[in-house]
Amino acid sequence: MLLHIGAFHVDVDSKRTTPWHALAPRTRLLCAVLSVFAIALTPNGHWLTWAIYGIGVAGVILLARVTLPVLLKRVGIEFAFVGVVLLGTLFQPGGEVLWSWGWLQITTEGLTVLGSVTLKVLLSLLTLNVLILTTSIPALLHALTVLRTPPLLVAILASMYRYIGVLMGELNAMRRAAAARNFSGSNRWQRLVVGNMIGALFIRTYERGERVYQAMLARGYTGLPPVDDVPKGNWRDILALTLTLIWALVGQLAGTMILEL
Amino acid sequence: MHHNPILIENLSYAYPDGTHALRAINLSIQATERVALIGANGSGKSTLLLHFNGLISPQTGKVMVGEWSVEPQHFKEIRNFVGVVFQNPDDQLFMPTVWEDVAFGPKNLGWKDSELNHRVERAMTAVELELKLYGERNVNNLSGGEKKRVAIAGVLAMHPQVLVFDEPSAQLDPRSRRQLIQLLKNLSETQVIATHDLDLALELCDRTVILSQGQIVYDGQTEKVLSNSEFLEQHALETPLSYSRPYCHINY
Repeated sequence: MLLHIGAFHVDVDSKRTTPWHALAPRTRLLCAVLSVFAIALTPNGHWLTWAIYGIGVAGVILLARVTLPVLLKRVGIEFAFVGVVLLGTLFQPGGEVLWSWGWLQITTEGLTVLGSVTLKVLLSLLTLNVLILTTSIPALLHALTVLRTPPLLVAILASMYRYIGVLMGELNAMRRAAAARNFSGSNRWQRLVVGNMIGALFIRTYERGERVYQAMLARGYTGLPPVDDVPKGNWRDILALTLTLIWALVGQLAGTMILEL
Repeated sequence: MHHNPILIENLSYAYPDGTHALRAINLSIQATERVALIGANGSGKSTLLLHFNGLISPQTGKVMVGEWSVEPQHFKEIRNFVGVVFQNPDDQLFMPTVWEDVAFGPKNLGWKDSELNHRVERAMTAVELELKLYGERNVNNLSGGEKKRVAIAGVLAMHPQVLVFDEPSAQLDPRSRRQLIQLLKNLSETQVIATHDLDLALELCDRTVILSQGQIVYDGQTEKVLSNSEFLEQHALETPLSYSRPYCHINY
């Protein structure tokens, strides 16, 4: 899933100076998580709510001066995965039947669900990608610890980030080594060999895990990663969080009111 | 500083499949000594090194590190006392950035804030890496020589009295190897260096211990044994290049 992130330069836009970058990483993380919850928990068919949220997300994208082509490319690739699942929601019973062919039928209900879920997915993906584009992974991991995520979980995420590059390097080295000995042949044979490589990689990873753990023990690791002290937030962080909260509530209220009218 | 930081008496170790990795090892290392540990592949060097830090507990025999015997209740003190630099820096550098990795050990010791920063900075200065340039860098994007130095800094930051190196010059280019030798020369800690690089052993260590099939077959002056090609060949080793080609033996 992460293979599309070329050379692991994930945080393309993290070095800019904008009001968004001035926020502490944990505030950015909190704002993003809050937004995703607000977006995802909106009931189906509240179009106005998403319109308001959409304006907000667009505002942050402009404010943080994100590189748009990179953002759109990443959202596009991620959306392709979710899109396959989404297609299924189109063909469901309920409401007026607009089109049918055998047991397949498209109803107003199906369209509403598809439209709603698509919007939710798009907005959430945009939000999270802006966060990841503008915040370096170590800063995000640190933010997670500050927000009281279990330190062990964060340590696991950190080593995943650290070692995925090493693993990809090893897999590529194996593939090159195979190519250097004229690796070709039928499709089935190729898949078999690549399968073997992944198996070998798995076993090596296991052994490497053992060695890494020994290296950790050798430097006094006792089973729990040490946690740093938490710096206090300033007025900017509080303002950003308040604005996000108000924006989420305004969206919800507007959506409900429009439906009642 | 402890006068006799490492004392091993009659240590044996067998792997679960029955292979004897170490047989009746007796070894005593004095403070500020620099000892080379030499032996062919599979002679038991790495297994012996892992005992120094309590990563392997002795099966039979006794290992004393400083004033502690290697037992689980002393692991904390032992691991502060002995720092291990592993062969492959990718195994040792497991944190995302250089600063975080060097700070890992001191943080486990409970250091915080300015004292922590100070320790990290001093350790990085000792290996000649500038904190400003390297602190935020991703470990994955460093060169082999830089990784090695970060790994050493990570151990130095814990202020150990004994440094243990597992093949420190493996996979380094000649210049990085030269810098590493210079670095090790300048460190005042007691050092145990397991290596296949016999020229490095000759240059750095006055004392050499040779392991062969899990046994110590020589313990004494480096120059004496490394010029004895017959003895070395018996134990699957060779004389260093600087002896077989004397014109290579240049003093730096």
